[in-house]
Amino acid sequence: MTEELTPGVPTTCDELLNQLPELFEKAGNARLSDDPRFAKILAECPTCAELVRDLEYIAEQARILLEPELEPSPDVWNNIQSKLSAGGVK
Amino acid sequence: MTQTNATTGSFKRNPPIAGEADAIERAKAGDPDAFSKLYALHKRRVYTLCLRMLGNVSEAEDMTQEAFLHLFRKLGSFRGESAFSTWLHRLTVNLVLMHLRKKGLQLVSLEETINPSEEDAPRRDFGSRDPRLSGSVDRVALERAVATLPPGYRLVFVLHDVEGYEHNEIATMLECSTGNSKSQLHKARLKLREILRQNEQAAQQQQELAR
Repeated sequence: MTEELTPGVPTTCDELLNQLPELFEKAGNARLSDDPRFAKILAECPTCAELVRDLEYIAEQARILLEPELEPSPDVWNNIQSKLSAGGVK
Repeated sequence: MTQTNATTGSFKRNPPIAGEADAIERAKAGDPDAFSKLYALHKRRVYTLCLRMLGNVSEAEDMTQEAFLHLFRKLGSFRGESAFSTWLHRLTVNLVLMHLRKKGLQLVSLEETINPSEEDAPRRDFGSRDPRLSGSVDRVALERAVATLPPGYRLVFVLHDVEGYEHNEIATMLECSTGNSKSQLHKARLKLREILRQNEQAAQQQQELAR
């Protein structure tokens, strides 16, 4: 039985590693690790599979940083007020 | 190919803020209380963005101050074509990038200078079978790891993965190619993986020693 290759889909670890930036970009918010086109190569190489899952995890976790929790010190507003009061802002 | 819409960056996901439109109009007319309200509404977002891009509290506070002074000067030109938060966000990003360029990220060589040195670059040998990230990376751990990224990696990671900018927007902002932005983001994620795994291993070793 002849195995059919999907055009553009990496078949070796090197190809996968080289194409990863583009593949992640094309996948958007979807996971490469859930994409059946990559199931074979990820199943055959646990190291690549771990790498892909870790990078997906990092990108997903980055979104938790969106909500701002950090507060500037009161000095920032005091300085802004001082400059505005002094009329030096034009 | 990614599409750019009118409302770019993180703030596209933010709902309108109650009282903001009124405060903008009053601040434009010179009402100091209204400007104070705009500061109160947006200070955390602006400061957090500055801190993530710069990785330094003192510089981040200086740039937050600059961003709001710049806002005061430019508020009259805000026409409401995009959300105010989007506009302020972009204004802040541009100020921080200008600041970084003045510090040494020259426009002409940005493509090169945003590349960190060899020792900062993520390892290319993915062969070791270290355990994968545990899935327990929390906000604090990630925040710390992002802060330790080389500046060029940190910028692209923060702008893309945290703030939601597209590669073509980042390329325009950083005056580099879209491919360079994609490549920097990938290296940033690889470097973060390395840092987070090292931190996890160190924490595990400490736990074992404590037993």
